[in-house]
Amino acid sequence: MVSITNAHNDLIHDAVLDYYGKRLATCSSDKTIKIFEVEGENHKLIDTLVGHEGPVWRVDWAHPKFGTILASCSYDGKVIIWKEENGKWSQIATHAVHSASVNSVQWAPHEYGVMLLAASSDGKVSIIEFKETGTSTPIVIDAHAIGVNSACWAPVSYQDVESDSSKPTKELRRFVTGGADNLVKIWKYDNDTQLYVLEDTLNGHSDWVRDVSWSPSVLLRSYIASVSQDRTCVIWSQENNKGPWKKTEVQQDKFPDVLWRASWSLSGNILALSGGDNKVTLWKENLTGNWEPAGEVQQ
Amino acid sequence: MSIRQADDPYQSSTFGKSLTLKVDGGFNAISINPSARDVVLASRQGLYIIDLDDPFSPPRWLHHETPWQVADVQWSPHPAKPYWIVSTSNQKAIIWNLTRSSSNAIEYALHGHTRAITDINFNPQQPDILATCSVDTYVHAWDLRSPKRPFYSTSPWRSSASQVKWNFKDSNILASSHDNDVFIWDLRNGSTPLSKLEGHQSSVNSIDFNRTRGSEIMSSSNDGTVKFWNYQSGGSTESTRTVRTDFPIWRGRYLPFGNGYCVMPMVGGENSVYMMSLEQSNDDAGETKSNNSSSNSTKLQPIYTFKGHSDRVIDFLWRSRHSYDTMVDDREFELVTWSKDCSLRLWSMSDILYDKVNFERNKRLEEKLPNYEYMTYNREVHDTMNSDDNEYKRIKETFVTTSGLKNMNNIDHLNWLSGVRMNDQHTPDDLFEQPKLHNLGEEVSAIGHKFPKVVFEKISVSTGEILLTLNGPWSENNPDEYIFLRIEINVPAHYPHRGNPPMFNIEENGNLTDATKQEILTQLNEIGKVYTDEDLYCLEQCLHYLLGEKVNMDLNDNINEPLFFLDVANSVNFDEFSSMSESIESVESTESSMDSGNNVFTNTFDESPETRNTFGRNLAFDSTPVPNECGAIWTPSGKLLCFFSTENKPDRKQKHFLKLTRDNLMIKDEPKQETRVLYDDDQIEYQNTTNNRPKRYVDTFSANDSKSRTTDVTSDRDSTSDDSFGSFVDDWNDIVGNDIVVRTRIPTLLGNFAKSFGSVHSESVKTGDSSRTAKNIIITKEFYSLFQEDKRLALEYEIMNEHPDEMARHNALVAEKYGYEEISHCWQILSDLLLAEREQSFTSFIWNNNPLGIRWFIKEAIKHFEKENNIQMLAMLCCVAANLYISKMNPVDIYNVQESYESLVTFELDDEHDPWRNEVYSQFSVGNTIQSQNDSFIKSKLLYPHDNYSIRSDEMVNNALQTPTARIANNRPPMPPKRNSNIGLQTPTLHRGKAAQVNIELIEDDVLESFKNPVGNIPDSADIKKCQLYIYQYAKLLFKWGLPYKRVELLKVSIQAITEHFHEESFDLEDLNRVNNNTIEIRWVSTYDDDKTVGNCNYCNLKIKGSMYVCGGCQHVLHTDCANEWWAIGNECPSGCGCHCPDQYNLSS
Repeated sequence: MVSITNAHNDLIHDAVLDYYGKRLATCSSDKTIKIFEVEGENHKLIDTLVGHEGPVWRVDWAHPKFGTILASCSYDGKVIIWKEENGKWSQIATHAVHSASVNSVQWAPHEYGVMLLAASSDGKVSIIEFKETGTSTPIVIDAHAIGVNSACWAPVSYQDVESDSSKPTKELRRFVTGGADNLVKIWKYDNDTQLYVLEDTLNGHSDWVRDVSWSPSVLLRSYIASVSQDRTCVIWSQENNKGPWKKTEVQQDKFPDVLWRASWSLSGNILALSGGDNKVTLWKENLTGNWEPAGEVQQ
Repeated sequence: MSIRQADDPYQSSTFGKSLTLKVDGGFNAISINPSARDVVLASRQGLYIIDLDDPFSPPRWLHHETPWQVADVQWSPHPAKPYWIVSTSNQKAIIWNLTRSSSNAIEYALHGHTRAITDINFNPQQPDILATCSVDTYVHAWDLRSPKRPFYSTSPWRSSASQVKWNFKDSNILASSHDNDVFIWDLRNGSTPLSKLEGHQSSVNSIDFNRTRGSEIMSSSNDGTVKFWNYQSGGSTESTRTVRTDFPIWRGRYLPFGNGYCVMPMVGGENSVYMMSLEQSNDDAGETKSNNSSSNSTKLQPIYTFKGHSDRVIDFLWRSRHSYDTMVDDREFELVTWSKDCSLRLWSMSDILYDKVNFERNKRLEEKLPNYEYMTYNREVHDTMNSDDNEYKRIKETFVTTSGLKNMNNIDHLNWLSGVRMNDQHTPDDLFEQPKLHNLGEEVSAIGHKFPKVVFEKISVSTGEILLTLNGPWSENNPDEYIFLRIEINVPAHYPHRGNPPMFNIEENGNLTDATKQEILTQLNEIGKVYTDEDLYCLEQCLHYLLGEKVNMDLNDNINEPLFFLDVANSVNFDEFSSMSESIESVESTESSMDSGNNVFTNTFDESPETRNTFGRNLAFDSTPVPNECGAIWTPSGKLLCFFSTENKPDRKQKHFLKLTRDNLMIKDEPKQETRVLYDDDQIEYQNTTNNRPKRYVDTFSANDSKSRTTDVTSDRDSTSDDSFGSFVDDWNDIVGNDIVVRTRIPTLLGNFAKSFGSVHSESVKTGDSSRTAKNIIITKEFYSLFQEDKRLALEYEIMNEHPDEMARHNALVAEKYGYEEISHCWQILSDLLLAEREQSFTSFIWNNNPLGIRWFIKEAIKHFEKENNIQMLAMLCCVAANLYISKMNPVDIYNVQESYESLVTFELDDEHDPWRNEVYSQFSVGNTIQSQNDSFIKSKLLYPHDNYSIRSDEMVNNALQTPTARIANNRPPMPPKRNSNIGLQTPTLHRGKAAQVNIELIEDDVLESFKNPVGNIPDSADIKKCQLYIYQYAKLLFKWGLPYKRVELLKVSIQAITEHFHEESFDLEDLNRVNNNTIEIRWVSTYDDDKTVGNCNYCNLKIKGSMYVCGGCQHVLHTDCANEWWAIGNECPSGCGCHCPDQYNLSS
C-alpha cells in the first residue's frame, strides 16, 4: 500500500494516478502540484510543479498516447497544461478564458482527441480542443448562473445500440455539469451544428451541487452520480442513452456531512463518495436497483 | 436611477438616451407610433407592442400566426387614428385596432391581392386611405370606409412590386417600384403611369418621396446606388443625382427633418445606417453638373454612421417629439433601428447633425404640427372596455412568469428584462466584464437568472412592485425543511440611493411563525438599509438571505479596508472575556461532525492571507465552493486512492483548542495580545456555527482574514514577535514530546481556558508541529472483493479455444479457484451445454431438443450480468459466442486444421450410405447458399474417428471456400436466397426411414437449426454491436490491468467473429474499423514483471518487454526495434500470416 504523508504544506485537493498507475499527481492549496513515481510500496517525489497563483483544485492526466501530459486548474482562474519531456516538466499551454476560479478540469475520452473540459465559478464551462496545428479553440458555454462546480465527460457511447444495426451508429458525445444553482445539466454535442446544446436539466438537490461524475461503464444504462452540499448523493440513470433520467438517492437519510466528491470505479460498479466528515464510503447497486454500502475508508 | 412613465413626451425617461432592447423571435418589420411612444414589431407569430418609455414592462402581444414572414407593418400616422396598425399577412393586409383586446384586435382584413403583399403605405393626408403592393404586380389603394375591395388598382403587368409610397404633398399621387423601375401613378389618371423612372441596374428595394418638394423622389437599389429623381421634369427618365455605395441598399429615405437622407445596406456596410446631407452635396452637384452632366454621380459621403449592430439592420425609423400646439419647429429626433441581431436600439441625435442637414430648429411654422396624445398601447385592453368609450384606462399589470397563474402574454418577463439595456452603447460582449447594474430592471433580470428557483409572480419595474415566491429554510423545528414564502417588495423611486431601501412584506403563512417572520423582515430591512446606504443594489443579497445563505453585511470589505475587526477587538475587554470562554465551551459541545472542517481550513490558510483579492475579483460574487480536504478517486487499476487532511484525526474541538494554544504560545511575551487573538479565534468559531458551514471559499477566508489582520496588528505592536516567531518554531520542534511549555503557559490564562486546555494539551504537543504544515496523507486501498471483475481471473481465463466447452470448463475451474461461485456455476452450465452441442451426444437430447438451449442460456446470462454490471463476464460470454461462431464459420482460419478436421463423416457406414452422404452434401449446397452450413456440418462431426469412406474435410472445406460465390450464383435462382433452411429441413426427412437406425435425422435437425441462424449463439445482429461494446470495454480494462496480450487475444476473437458477421451481412465496416484502430493506436510503454502478461516477439521470438507494436490487422506483436529492423527489409508480417502490417497502421505513431 502506498502511503504518502505530508506531501504538501497545505490541504490536498486532488490526487490522480496516471493510466499505468505509475505516476501520481497531487495538488494542493499550497499552489503546487507534485508528481510522484509509485512503485509497489515505494514512492518517490519526482517533481514539484509551480506556476499557479492560487490553490490548485484538480489535476487530470491525459491519455498516454498524447504523451505525458497533465492538466491542472486553480483558484487563479487558469488551466495549465504541463508536459514531461526527457524527464523535465514544463508548461506547454495556459488556458485563461475564465474570470473566476476553475473548479474542475477533465480530459475528454481519448477517442475525441486532445480535448479538455473545465468548469468555473464564473458560471461557464469551456471545452478546449488542442489541434494538431498547436492551436486551441475554446468553446465557452454559460452553464450555471452562479457558478459551475464540476463537469464530467460521458464515456464514448453510441446512439441506439439496440436499434437496427444496418444504420450507421452515431457517436454520442455528452458531458454533465453541476452548479451552484443546485442543478445538474446534461450537454450534448450536436454533430451538425458542431455546438454543445443543453440536453437535459436534472433538478434534485436543494443546495449547491459539488461534484458530478459520469460512470465510465458503457453498458446499456448510463449512470451519473451527483453529490451536493445538501448532504445527499443522487444517482441519475438513463436507459440506452435516451429517454428521461431516473433519479435514485443513494440513501434515504442524509449523509452526516456535506459531500465533496464522487468517483466511479473503472468498470462503473462501485461509487466512492467523500465528504466533510473526512470519510470515504463505497456504494454498490444491488439487483433491485437500490444502492447499498460496500465499504468505508477512514484513516 | 429609476424608470417612471410619463404622459408627456418631455418626461420620457428614454428619449435622448441610448437604449438597447433584445427581442428574440424573428421579427422582420418595425413601425413607430406617431406620438413616438410605442414601437410595433411584427413577426410570423404576431405583433409586439413595446412601450419605449417603459422598456422593462413586457410587450403586448397580438397573436397572429402566419406561414409567411411579415413584409411590412405600419402604424397609422394620423392623430385621428392613433390606434391603427396595418400589417401584412401573406396576400392580405390586416388592420389592427389597438383599443380592442388582443384577441379581437383585427378590425379589417384587406383581401385583394392574389400573392404576397410586399409593402403597405398609409396615405399621409387621408387617414382612411392606404396603398398596398404585391408580388402579383398590382398596386391597390384602399379606402377603409369600404374595405371590401380596393378603390384603385394598377399594375405594370410585368414585374412584381417591391414598394409603394404616397406622395406627401399630393394625396392623389403614389409611386411603386417594380424590378429596376419606379412608376409614378396618379389616382385620377387610371392605370397609365404618370412617369416611369428607369435607370437602375438592379431591382429597386426602396423608394421615398421628398417630404417638402412634392415632385422629388429617391430610389435605392441592389445595384448599390441611390438615385434622386424629379418626375415632373417633363417625364424625364433621367435621374438628377446618383450616389454610389459599395453595398446593395435595402432602404433609403429622406430625413423627416432638414435636407438629408439615410440609407442602410442589405448586406455588408458594417451593419450600419448612414446619414447623408443633401445640402452640401447639392452644391457640389451643382458645380459638377455645370461641368459634366454625367458626373452627377457621387460617392456616398456620410455625415454620420450609426454603427453598432452585429447583424444587418432590418429597418430604421425616426422617433420624434415636439411641444404641444407649438408654432415653432422644436422637433427632436431619435433614430430607432431594428436589426437581425434581434436588438432594437435607440440612437440619440446631436445638434451638430441637425446643423449638418440644415435643420433649423425653432423656425416658425406655417401650420401647426399635428398633436398626438402621448400614450401607450402597450397595455392589454379588456373586452369589457368597449372601444366605444375612448378612454383607455390603465389596466393593472397581471404579468406572470412561471407561476401557475394564467399568463396572458406568454412572454417570459425575466427574459424580456434581461434584454433591456439602457445607457449602454455597447452590449457587454466581453466575457470578463462584470455586468454592472444600471437600474432596477437589470437588477431583477440579473437575480431572476441567478436564482432559477425563485418565482417572480409579478414584476413591475415602473411602479417598483415585485412579488416573488421561494422556498427558504425557515422552519423552526427542522432546519432542513423548506418553507414556502410569498414576498412582496416595494421599491421606491429613488432606489438604490441612500435612504430608499426597498420595503418588504411577507404573506401570512401557516408554516411560518410570527417570530421568524419578524426576524426575517428585520434582517431584510437591515440588509436593505446597509446596502442602499452605500447606494448599492440589495435585492440579490436579500434573496441570498431568504434562501438561507450568508449575506455579506460588511460592505466596507469590498470598498476599502477599514480596521473593522480592530475596532471590535478594541471594544472587547476582560469583562467580556469569561463569557467568551463559555461560548467556546458551548461550541465544544454542540459542534458535531455536522460541521465540516472549516476550522482546519481557515487555520491552515493563515499563512497565505494575500490570496485574498489576488485576482482582482469582487469577492462578493466569488462563488468558488469551499475546497475539499479529503477525497477518494478510483485508479485505473482498480485501487482506491484516498487522501485525508490529517493522519490521526483528533477531535475537532481539540484541533480548535490546539490552534488556540499555538496562537497563545506565539505571543506569550505579551499577554495583553492574547485577548485579541483568542477573541478572533472565537470569532471564527462563532461564524462557523451560526452560519452553518459556509459554502463559499471566500467565506472561509474572510473569517480567516480577520485572523490574519489581527496577527498583523500583533506584529505591528510588537516588533519582536516577528523575529521570535521563527525561533519559536524551531524551538517548538525541539520541544516536541515535552509539554512543559504548555504547562508553563497555562497559568497565564484565565481559569476557564486552563481547564479546557488541560484536557487536550498532550494531544497538542504531539501534533503541534504538524498543524503548522497541515498534515495530509495519501493512501491507496484495494477493494478487489467488491469488483465483479478480477485481474486474476483475467490472467487465467482462456479466451480462445477451438472447443468452447473446454474453454468454459477451464474458466469454471479458474473461477472456482478464486471463490467466484456464481461465475463458476455459470461456466459449468455453459461448458455442459457446449459439450452437449459439440458431441452431438444422443444422451443429451434434452438440450438438443431445445435448440434454443444454449442460445437462451447465454442470453439470460448476459441479461443477468448486465444487471450486475459485470463487464468481465459479459465480455467473456460474448467471447464464447464469438468462439462458437468462429469455430462454425471459419475453422481453417484460426485453428490447426490437420487435427480437428480429419474426417467429415464418422459414422460406421456401409457402402450403401455413400450416396446418401453425397446427397446430403449436395442438398446443403443447394439448399442453403451460406458457406457456414458446411462448416457447421463439419464441426458437428468432428469427434468421430477417421474412416476410409469419409471425405477429407480439407477438400470439402476448400471446395466450400473456393467456390462459394459460384455456388451462390448457381443456386440462388431456384429458391429464396436466405433463411430457406426449411427447405433443407424437409429434404432430410425424406431420408428418415433410411437413416433411422443411426438417428441421422436428429443430427441433421440440430445442424439445420443452426443453419436457420448461422450466427448460432449470438442471438441477432443488434447484439453483435452490444457484444462488441462489452468486449471493447473489457479490452480497455485488460489493458489497464497490464494484460496487453490477453487483450489482443480478446480483440482477435471479437474481430474475427465480427468480420465474419460483417462479411456475411455486408455490414457497414465502420465499427470494425473503430475497434481495429483502437487496437493499434496505443503504444505500450511500460513494463511488467509478470511474464504471463506479455507474449513473444514474432521476429526474434524473445519475450516482449518494453515497447512493442501490435498490428491492427493480424494482432501479431513485435519489439519496437525488431519492427524497425524487419520492416526495413520485409514486406509481410514476420509471423508469416501474410498480413501487410504497415498498411494497417503507421509504424511511427
